[in-house]
Amino acid sequence: MDLIILSLPLFMKGLHNTLLMSLGATVIATVLGVVFALIQIFGNIFFRALVEIFLYLIRGIPLLVLLFTMYYALLYMGFRIDPLVGGTVVIGIYFAAFMAEVFRGGLLSVARGQWEAGYALGLRTKGVVLNIITYQALKVIGAPYVNTVIMVVKGTSLVAVIGITELTFVGRQIVERTLEPFLIFGVVAGIYVVICYSLSLLARYLERKIGYVN
Amino acid sequence: MSIEGQSLQEIEIDRISKWFGNNKVLDEVSLSVKKGEALAVIGPSGSGKTTLLRCVNFLEDFQQGTIKVSDEYIGYLQDRDGTGSRQRQPESDIALMRTKVGMVFQSFNLFPHMTVLRNITLAPTRILKQSTQQANETALQLLERVGLKDKADVLPASLSGGQQQRVAVARALAMKPKAMLFDEVTSALDPELVSEVLDVIRELIGEGMTMMIVTHEMSFARAFSDRVVFMADGKMLEIDTPVNIFENPQNPRLVSFLERFRKSYKI
Repeated sequence: MDLIILSLPLFMKGLHNTLLMSLGATVIATVLGVVFALIQIFGNIFFRALVEIFLYLIRGIPLLVLLFTMYYALLYMGFRIDPLVGGTVVIGIYFAAFMAEVFRGGLLSVARGQWEAGYALGLRTKGVVLNIITYQALKVIGAPYVNTVIMVVKGTSLVAVIGITELTFVGRQIVERTLEPFLIFGVVAGIYVVICYSLSLLARYLERKIGYVN
Repeated sequence: MSIEGQSLQEIEIDRISKWFGNNKVLDEVSLSVKKGEALAVIGPSGSGKTTLLRCVNFLEDFQQGTIKVSDEYIGYLQDRDGTGSRQRQPESDIALMRTKVGMVFQSFNLFPHMTVLRNITLAPTRILKQSTQQANETALQLLERVGLKDKADVLPASLSGGQQQRVAVARALAMKPKAMLFDEVTSALDPELVSEVLDVIRELIGEGMTMMIVTHEMSFARAFSDRVVFMADGKMLEIDTPVNIFENPQNPRLVSFLERFRKSYKI
């Protein structure tokens, strides 16, 4: 118990970075994911092909390999970027590939008749998507979106290998000092569970808020 | 053409053809709907009547021909060089043309996350730039006309099919269209709800609204339309007054279609 209390400041620093990276990567993944999804649905054939190739590539590479590749590629090219920022961006781009599918599926899940009713009233595509489709798609997008955010949070643990002091890295540091791997990693695991469970609760709440009878 | 050079036709369909892959679903269909005319379109399933209707507000693309609403092309402009090649309109022009044509769908397609009132006011506020107050007033008048004024603040899901369809009519009318398109609007309704929707359409006919009505309600087409078109296999096979179509059909396909119909319904 003393051990944990003594390690608390370190844990807090790790947690801080984990949350920061999770938030940053989620924002990047969400924005890029929406853009990719819109291009896939409405883009011309050139951009669609480009996005699709990119998505298949990203989805086919394990996150750890992507992190190593980008990290060493950047080092090799002489870039000195903050590993925290670099790691966040890579994770963001990586999960954007999954977010794109979540958003694309959500938008396309809304019945054709809803699109047509919007067009028939004289709305243009932008108006139809914003006024009619988005809200209905949110219902479908909610659960898989939160799932992906949870994967983002857990994905940030991999940046420990490039030396970022996030939660997992901190855990390892403390274990090296205390030689109590079970206890320490147990606490680390517990913190991840708490973060992810809170996200699930938030998702439930939001889902109820946008609930309407269909 | 009348003296002022203004056309008497509200909708002019000029030799349009459409293929789904190798399947020709519309075959050189030409058809005009006069201002104030109610035109019923009948025919067996797969005859292309719904597709034809959907071409009129360009929800459906077509490979040949042109369509005009109120003397203006929708979807494609006729090329002036006379080679018959067409030019596609930009999306903004198509959207503008669609505001002139109201459409009511078989499956209502009300927006489930908006109240009845918002369903009706969305397009007038967003496209016609009406103020919320103005749009609300018009919407309430329209709801009163279709007998649903007390339902303004509920979500569509709490309405019956017939009520939803009447809201859909009000929603289309809120854009003050030049013509209305009805696509089998009673086919998804329970039998006892059909008449309340047909009553609304009948009133519109009485007010002189131009409309195309794709329908399986033969008795309605017969009693209230000005002309009836019979379609089969993507072709327009006969067009005449309701009396002639139902009493004195010429085309053998129409004769057998009506016979089959008479077996199941008394018309």
